[in-house]
Amino acid sequence: MFTHVDAVAGQLGRGLLLTLAMTALTFTGAVAGGLVVAVLRICPVAPLRAFGAGYVTVFRNIPLLVLLVLFVFGLPDLGLLYPLFATVTTAMALYWAAFVCEVVRSGVRAVPRGQAEVARALGLGFGQCLRHVILPQAVRPMVQPLGSIFIGCALSTSLAAAVGVAELTGQAEFLTLRYDQPLTSFALTTVVYVALTLTSGLVAGRVERKLAVAR
Amino acid sequence: MRLSRPRPALGAASATAALALTLTACGGSATLPAASGSSGSAAADASKTYDEILAVAPVAPAGQIPAGSLMAKIKKRGTLIVGGTDTSALFSLKDPVTGELTGFDAGLAAMLAKYITGRTSTKLVQVSVATREQLLRNGTVDTVFATYSITPERAKKVDFAGPYYSSGDAILVKKANTAIKAVDDLNGKTVCTQSGSTAANDIKDFAPKSKVILFDGNSQCVQAVKQGRADAYVIDQAILVGTQYRDPSVKVVGQPFTTDPYGIGTPKADPEMKTFVDAWLKKIEASGAWAKLWKATLGTAVTGAAPKPPVVGSVEGS
Repeated sequence: MFTHVDAVAGQLGRGLLLTLAMTALTFTGAVAGGLVVAVLRICPVAPLRAFGAGYVTVFRNIPLLVLLVLFVFGLPDLGLLYPLFATVTTAMALYWAAFVCEVVRSGVRAVPRGQAEVARALGLGFGQCLRHVILPQAVRPMVQPLGSIFIGCALSTSLAAAVGVAELTGQAEFLTLRYDQPLTSFALTTVVYVALTLTSGLVAGRVERKLAVAR
Repeated sequence: MRLSRPRPALGAASATAALALTLTACGGSATLPAASGSSGSAAADASKTYDEILAVAPVAPAGQIPAGSLMAKIKKRGTLIVGGTDTSALFSLKDPVTGELTGFDAGLAAMLAKYITGRTSTKLVQVSVATREQLLRNGTVDTVFATYSITPERAKKVDFAGPYYSSGDAILVKKANTAIKAVDDLNGKTVCTQSGSTAANDIKDFAPKSKVILFDGNSQCVQAVKQGRADAYVIDQAILVGTQYRDPSVKVVGQPFTTDPYGIGTPKADPEMKTFVDAWLKKIEASGAWAKLWKATLGTAVTGAAPKPPVVGSVEGS
């Protein structure tokens, strides 16, 4: 076992903070970006729909690790050198936005077509129809998939360790190098990750029940 | 700018080049035109002196080679069979033009061959980390020169003459960087290393105020330094000098700040070989040939004067 409990706890704590910040920023960015792309994909303008489809195809089909390496080591060659944390979080938000887009789109598709037709018959435009009729009904079926995406975001932050961000997994690597107890340090981080994802699963369940009567 | 200045430098460079070509037909002359005089002629100088060092290397008096010993066997054969590699830049690298091995390890092996047989004739057998001990034990090779770290564990299976070189963690920075000269300068800087390497701990021990980033591989670390994401890259010197050899936009600064002693592997079945090699090593260290060879090989990549060779027998296992 580790003998330097304080040092270990402090190091893992710092890593956890970074993981939480990264998860929150990634998820927020992904939801914002995903909403925009989803709107593009269902809007009446064909070129915008094509752009949205292209975005999803590109970002959903590149492995996240490849994307991270491209962002971290490729962008500086184009003269774009940003802090490591910002670069990695941006890449992850762009990646998860593609998934959020598809969740939003299927949520919207789950609303019966008649609802949109009625809204149009009442004289609502595309934006008004989305805001007042479609989205309020589409949110509920989106909650659980979004919860899954949150878990995906949280777990995928561990890939950031491979490109030098000292989040939870990165700190576990440092601990392994220092104390040579790989199983212990990874077991500790596993516990933290599971605690994080179980909590988010519970929250998603709560939110879903809250929204149950919305339709 | 003065017009007259480049001329003598160029003249000197081409004279050195001509000399180098007549002496060795070496590949080093290819670097001459690019650099305006200084570094180009230094490269040619290095390969010139490399051959000169081998040419003046000592030969053992006949009395030191007892009949029936491994040395006598090697002398009769006329060639030293060396376990090593031909892909380790500045330690043992095959020149694609001449087919000759050059580098610090290769130079020492050639000098040892000359000490025993009178000629610098060596035959290379490729070894890997996994095969070194086995090839020494079954007699396939007479000796191993392969950036071979002395450890007590390995010393149970083979004998180590030396240590002949003290490697360890060294620092790689961008060529233009003059702020980092030693490990103390890493405080407050961003330093990267490979995620599987214990160098991360050494950085924290020697420069507690540095920020350490772990990347997966060598190329990513070098890339990070070149792109300015990290100020320095710290890992074993043997890896860094190889990187610097291939990529002139970075440089290795100072001497290693940790200790990783390299030994010359000899078979345990022939203990007289270890004693013999130790004696030879002391001889070339005292004569200055060791330092000259360092200057001509590793010295072309590492800044500063030649280090003091480690004391023979000073390491557990040697």
